[in-house]
Amino acid sequence: MAASGTISPDRILREMSDLWVSLGKQGESDAGVLRACSMTLLVAAEQSDDPQAIGETLAALMPEHPSRAMVIRFAAGDQRSLAARVFAQCWMPFGHRQQICCEQIEITASDASLPDLAAVVLPLKVPDLPVILWCRSARLFHLPAFPQLSAIAQKVVVDTAAFGDAPAALKELNNVVSAGHLLADLSWTRLTRWRELIGQIFENRAHLANLPQVSEVHITYHAAAAPATAYYMAAWLLEGLGKIGVKARVMFAQEPRGLSERLGRVELRAAGQSEPIASIFLADEPVAEVKTGGLTNKALLPWLNDYSLMREELSIPGRDPSFARALTAAAQLELS
Amino acid sequence: MTLENPFQDPLRFERRVPECSMVIFGANGDLTKRKLLPALYRLAYERRLGAGFAVLGISRTPLTDDQFREKMLASVKEFLEDSPFDADVWTAFAQGLFYMAGDFDNAALYPALDAKLKEIETARHTGGNVLFYLSAQPSQYIPIAQGLAKGNVGKGLGWRRIVVEKPFGHDLESAKTLSAELHSAFDESEVYRIDHYLGKETVQNILAFRFGNGIFEPLWNRRYVNHVQITAAESIGVEGRGAYYQEAGALRDMIQNHLSQVMATIAMEPSATFRPNSVRDERSKLLRSIRVLKPEEVLQNTVSGQYGPARIGGEDVPGFRQEQGVKPDTQTDTYAAVTFFVDNWRWAGVPFYVRSGKRLPKRVTEIAIQFNEAPLAIFNGEGNQPVPNLLILRIQPEEGISLKFLSKRPGSGMTLRPVSMDFNYGSSFGERSPSAYETLLLDAIIGDATLYTRQDMVEASWTVVDSIQHVWDSTKFDFPNYDSGSWGPKASDEMLARRGHLWRQP
Repeated sequence: MAASGTISPDRILREMSDLWVSLGKQGESDAGVLRACSMTLLVAAEQSDDPQAIGETLAALMPEHPSRAMVIRFAAGDQRSLAARVFAQCWMPFGHRQQICCEQIEITASDASLPDLAAVVLPLKVPDLPVILWCRSARLFHLPAFPQLSAIAQKVVVDTAAFGDAPAALKELNNVVSAGHLLADLSWTRLTRWRELIGQIFENRAHLANLPQVSEVHITYHAAAAPATAYYMAAWLLEGLGKIGVKARVMFAQEPRGLSERLGRVELRAAGQSEPIASIFLADEPVAEVKTGGLTNKALLPWLNDYSLMREELSIPGRDPSFARALTAAAQLELS
Repeated sequence: MTLENPFQDPLRFERRVPECSMVIFGANGDLTKRKLLPALYRLAYERRLGAGFAVLGISRTPLTDDQFREKMLASVKEFLEDSPFDADVWTAFAQGLFYMAGDFDNAALYPALDAKLKEIETARHTGGNVLFYLSAQPSQYIPIAQGLAKGNVGKGLGWRRIVVEKPFGHDLESAKTLSAELHSAFDESEVYRIDHYLGKETVQNILAFRFGNGIFEPLWNRRYVNHVQITAAESIGVEGRGAYYQEAGALRDMIQNHLSQVMATIAMEPSATFRPNSVRDERSKLLRSIRVLKPEEVLQNTVSGQYGPARIGGEDVPGFRQEQGVKPDTQTDTYAAVTFFVDNWRWAGVPFYVRSGKRLPKRVTEIAIQFNEAPLAIFNGEGNQPVPNLLILRIQPEEGISLKFLSKRPGSGMTLRPVSMDFNYGSSFGERSPSAYETLLLDAIIGDATLYTRQDMVEASWTVVDSIQHVWDSTKFDFPNYDSGSWGPKASDEMLARRGHLWRQP
């Protein structure tokens, strides 16, 4: 059901209530439906953003992070206009007899109506559960009225890969975080598997013993300019090395091949040694070659889609101290 | 000063896993093929094992390293179930698989094993850490323990641990003997007795449910709980394991270990911390609080059963005595039900009904906690029957938690009907749960014994079970006493009826 021009939160709540009654009636013949909700997930997207892709990502997230999802699609325009529809995302877990359903609200809004949105969203959030805002567009993040919407959320998820100039984006994000807001950046999330591999390498005491010799960090990437992931990785490694009193130089380089916005290689090197102390090389995507202490191993580092990234971020509703430290360091990183 | 790994992020990374070699005794056996190697490969696929992780398989069959790798590849592909397989990950993982042929009774095996471990340590930087895994026949546990002790195998810079599969003896005495032999080579803190039930996500979730929430624990005692039912039912028979099962029986095979551990998890006191020994101390205390039945009490509080032949789904299924390898007059129990009482302040007077059986109507494992009825039945009449609240913790196959309570039926009048509030583990957390073996193997490598059974726990549960088994051994039962596909012997229903209770039919 859609209305144009304005939205009444009461009407949406009534529609949601009717939706559950109708789902319950549909399910009376079998085992019924199960309502699941662990958060309110706000998605702010451009009108041009592929609605099917967003829908598929939300549907994939629902089984693990059942939520009341509100997708707000923005169209540039001076006219204030808002419209909404309500529907359910249901799935039948394999081998089960009972459908599980979550609510989804789709709101279309013009940029000009952004200041009106907070008053609509506030009564629609699920009480007592966290609110996460996933902002899929750099343009929206920079709209003057965006903070009114983001103030409703405990955590805002952005992706600096879409921001263009990585150093500028990191500085901007660092300012937001320094002001006390809880923020997540999917560019950081993309690094988890890389970081985990590095962490695992140095669980070995023999390899750990070599770590104080590190003097250079080499990071390569598949992009025209160093992406935010490269800055985060460098900042995180330097911070780790700093904990054991090691200062190292960071060197960035471009990979010749064209895997968009990906890291290509991360190496920790000691001065005067031909072989790196540890190296992870994305040799043949998604297979990465991990070399350390004369041993070569293979691990999978697949390209992570929105679902995989958001799945991880939604699992951390609170503050992520490692990210906060890496962001601050990345924003201040000066390359040799 | 010891250097600490500075690249850890506990919020996002899984637990820290040290490098090690894992020695599997019985590398050609079913457990290795079906469970251990698929679980290890899965851990490698998930990037949970270090680059130098190595497996050294030992069994009698002569095989080269490459032949062993080929066999394990076939097993992993066959038993990986719903997990993906990646050839590159396998190739890297397989470089760490090694094999030695040897007879576990032969003393010459152990110096050779020690030399091979040193070779692996040098090549793969395992830091001298060794995890031994007894996946062999139980009769070979003691010779292996003696061989490891005499040969000082794997003793060096790193840690050594040994994982032991059940059965941990066949009675209290043999369990003590086994522990004593293991202790000749390992300290008790290095002995990991595996009970794969405790590795199941939903069994671990009992701890989270009880001690992570404030609302249930106040009800978790004799004032509010009427009784507890623990059911582990299997729809299949002995499936070719008749000869083994004939020596074990349901009481020894299920209740002595798996179900007594589940019962301990349900009934234990909160531990002060979630450290391994703290949790295990509480489990152990609970097991020691289970009342040991006097001989004259056994037949009143237990039921032994054996399935007979039946026709299920248009197909004739044999009775236990008709199964291959089973004596035609065997007295082995394929069904066991016991009324336990826990003699402590929390549970005094609350019966814990525990049953396990083969060839029951369906495969299900669950715990049902029945609460006392409302003290005053103000809604009786108008067709309302008092219905007690039930909390059901389902362990398999549909893992989850249900709370049954009464609700008013819509419309005029005050008619109540029971409704169910369900939490479904699989659908609320859609990610794949690690298998019990993945969880437990990783725990052993990390050195977390929380989900492993300790000597005092094994001995406490044998003390309880032995008192029953001794009476059963001297009783001639009129077997078979239940049809395949039924919920067990009538005597089992009667056992509950004596206290005014009824078995749930899950």
